[in-house]
Amino acid sequence: MQVDVRGLTVRYGTITAVDDMSFSLSGNKIYGLLGRNGSGKTSLMSALAGYRRPVGSVLLDGAPVFENARAMRNVCLVRHTTDAADKGDKVVHALEYGKAWRETWDDTYARELVELFGLPLKTKVGELSLGQRSALGVTIGLASRSPLTMLDESHLGMDTPTRYAFYDALLQDFMRHPRTIVISTYLIEELASLLEEVLIIDNGRLVLQEEADVLRSRGTEVTGTADDVDAFTAGLTVLSEKSLGRTKSVMVYGTLDDAQLVHARRLGLELGPIALQDLFVHLTEPVGGLR
Amino acid sequence: MRVFRHLATSLAGFSALVAAGVFVFTVALTFAVSLFKDVVISGWSVAAGQVGPWFVLFVGVHVIHNVLPVAVAHGRTRRELLGAATGFSVVFAAAMAAVAWLGFAVEGGVYALMDWTAGDRGLPHAYFLMYLVWCAVGMLLAAAFDTSGLAGLVALPFGIAFAVMAKVRIPGSGELPFLRNEMSLLGAGWHVASAVAWLLAVAATWLIAKNMPVRSKSA
Repeated sequence: MQVDVRGLTVRYGTITAVDDMSFSLSGNKIYGLLGRNGSGKTSLMSALAGYRRPVGSVLLDGAPVFENARAMRNVCLVRHTTDAADKGDKVVHALEYGKAWRETWDDTYARELVELFGLPLKTKVGELSLGQRSALGVTIGLASRSPLTMLDESHLGMDTPTRYAFYDALLQDFMRHPRTIVISTYLIEELASLLEEVLIIDNGRLVLQEEADVLRSRGTEVTGTADDVDAFTAGLTVLSEKSLGRTKSVMVYGTLDDAQLVHARRLGLELGPIALQDLFVHLTEPVGGLR
Repeated sequence: MRVFRHLATSLAGFSALVAAGVFVFTVALTFAVSLFKDVVISGWSVAAGQVGPWFVLFVGVHVIHNVLPVAVAHGRTRRELLGAATGFSVVFAAAMAAVAWLGFAVEGGVYALMDWTAGDRGLPHAYFLMYLVWCAVGMLLAAAFDTSGLAGLVALPFGIAFAVMAKVRIPGSGELPFLRNEMSLLGAGWHVASAVAWLLAVAATWLIAKNMPVRSKSA
């Protein structure tokens, strides 16, 4: 599903959560939506899902999403607050809503996920632990088989085995039923291998949108003697630097060309990749003149 | 139709259980009262005319406050939910009026057997209109408060006016302040006024709820 966002703004009173944002998602990929707390991830996803009337335009396959029955059928947003069921509803009721109201709902798969996550069908949603509520959200999101499925911090409260089970289920289901999946998370490295494309937002603005592999190649860790490293990184966008005695390690943003690689080798510098999470941290900090 | 079916099956069944429970309680209470004094009014008319509308109002609140966000989260539009809710309010009010009248019929048998006096019970369509308006008022107030927070108080005077208007033809509702014999003032015109009140409440609900944001619930 193609998603086109143009000039999207979301305000709560005097607070601007999403500020004139524009981007496109080409579809059938797993996107990572990364941002710090309060950066506007949930507000952005809420606007994409038609949870609130957008200022600006949100188009799904060319059609506006808000109050458009055909477009809304193709979207599923799962927030960790479990919007898809009332607190007084039992888990089984939440699945029944999906079965009754979504044409794309796969009830057999939903039951498999309930078993995988060990969800108690007869327990009220309001009585579930945070991890169980998250698992229920993931179940609803994946079983909806919506062409645009968005999972907002869906791992909150999940223990490590459950998170890994979730990642496996997500990947397997995506392989079987390719669709556009947007995941917001702060556990970036855990999910990094699943992400094909990454959007980083900060203060309601899009900082960058890049293929995950390209993004990883954009950052390089340069290690060597302090003088050599300083000489090499002069003029480059430095994200951070650490020193230990005469040894210095600097993270730079931007692709190194062949001449720079030769130069680094001549200086005896070590070049290595940096983690997506480190890039994210530095790109959302007011350093390096990137913001 | 899917949303309407959900509302009808989930809420009608629940309401029937509540009505049956209230009926049994009312008859039991009437028996208890008869031990100390003569029974001169219908216990069920108190339940149907005083308790019933509040129950229906809260069903209206539930439909907008609880069901609408869930429906949107499952890919339904607000308009679909509002359409279903409007149809549901008519069917639900009719079902509640039928239950009220069934209760009067059964209670009438009990009263005849015990030689008790029931007093005035009102007309079936008066109950139907009262339930219809109170359900719509519940939806209106939920939409107003959920959309605008405290600013939703603006809808409150209208809701109260609509609700009072729809109760005038129900026996035992009491007289309005500054207005005596209001039942004879408009006569059957109160039914027309109730129908108009329902239309206005539903129209206002649509107007407010069609843009209602689905906010995050507190965890």
